Amino acid sequence: MNKRIPRIGIGGPVGCGKSMLIERVVPILAKKNYQISIISNDVISQEDADRMRQNLATDQGLLPENLVIGLATGGCPHTAVREDPSINLSVIEEIEREYSDLDLIIIESGGDNITTTFSPALADYFIYIIDVSGGDKYPRKRGLGIETSDLLVINKIDLAPLVDANLDVMERDAKIVRTNKPYALVNCKTDEGVDVVAQHIIDDVLFGQPPRKLITNVE
Amino acid sequence: MSTDVSDLSLMQISDSFFPTGLYTMSNGLETLFSEKRITGMDELCELIQTNIVQQIGPCDCVALSNAYTHTSSNDLEKIIICDRSLFAMKLVKELRESTCRSGTQMIKCVNSFVTNDTLSKYYDMIKNSQAPGTHAVAIGVASNILGIEKQKAVLHFLYGFSVSMVGAALRLGIIEHIQSQKILHRLKPVIAETCDKYISKSLSDMWQFAPEYDVIQITHEQKFSKMFIT
Repeated sequence: MNKRIPRIGIGGPVGCGKSMLIERVVPILAKKNYQISIISNDVISQEDADRMRQNLATDQGLLPENLVIGLATGGCPHTAVREDPSINLSVIEEIEREYSDLDLIIIESGGDNITTTFSPALADYFIYIIDVSGGDKYPRKRGLGIETSDLLVINKIDLAPLVDANLDVMERDAKIVRTNKPYALVNCKTDEGVDVVAQHIIDDVLFGQPPRKLITNVE
Repeated sequence: MSTDVSDLSLMQISDSFFPTGLYTMSNGLETLFSEKRITGMDELCELIQTNIVQQIGPCDCVALSNAYTHTSSNDLEKIIICDRSLFAMKLVKELRESTCRSGTQMIKCVNSFVTNDTLSKYYDMIKNSQAPGTHAVAIGVASNILGIEKQKAVLHFLYGFSVSMVGAALRLGIIEHIQSQKILHRLKPVIAETCDKYISKSLSDMWQFAPEYDVIQITHEQKFSKMFIT
């Protein structure tokens, strides 16, 4: 029986910064020796997967190139992570067979709408990301992603003054809509707030456990 | 009141809601569309028909039918031979991978709600990389265990393939929703004839020949921008 490797699902609208968040969070986790695989569900191309592979694997050497996997979803990004996650699950099972020492698998959804959620069979933890350029009304408009995700990330906070978005309003509404569930304000361009997201992953997904490889080595 | 639920089981596995990931496949249609070689209903219908007659009829349906028969006698060894033979006949890498992913997930799903020794052993062999878990063989095994007649299982497979192609065409904008139903209706005689022709063939009679179509699918693998796996 393969060990189940903890899995995070990251969803959000097209262009909100899902891939960029992964590119910023993974180095923080890799620096702490966590070993990670990334599955990128792209709506129309392999571009995100190719860029992440080049940046994180080829250039930075943070993970093997073959552990950044791009998946086409037949124009159905929400189906691939919710109603019928079978292709994603098959790929994950293949990874679990080959790389049982991994600490984390990150599954990026293709860009979708605010009703995105992940099948609990696919992801143990769901991060939903939006950006301020859609306006400060975004959190209070609700939607399953904003309301039910384990962590809401609001990206591109540097753009707020340029699009007349009030971050105080977004924070206030996020607190109301999500009751006590966490949110994080980030700017993936500068890494501002990204450490908070990484810490949530360590605390809430990995439960503060050290990397598996270290545990194996000690044993 | 009848207690036979086999038709309901057929409906269950035929439903697009049943999780096998077929919606991620266009079987090369996306490339044909982008190269403007398929632009409408008639060409699309001909493409699906060619695929049924030249590839999945004489190849997948024969493997399905034989796997079904060997499931009746709980002959796991012969089921695996069907599985490996079909795997070897798939010339396109992404197609091989996709059929195995769909088949594996189908067996995993049915194994979660049906208790059957052959089924669970077959699933274990797939998990341990001792069997590829091709989609058609998975349907043969699962259908038998769910009490679905062999002929209905073969018809289900051929119809499911057609729906998957038509669905991809709809999403690509090649056809509209009424045309999609017209195509499915037009394909019914071909599906029925293909089923009749191959349902009793032995594994050694298995063949497939559509080289241009193989090349198209291999071309699709190399595309940078695409909605579908293949």
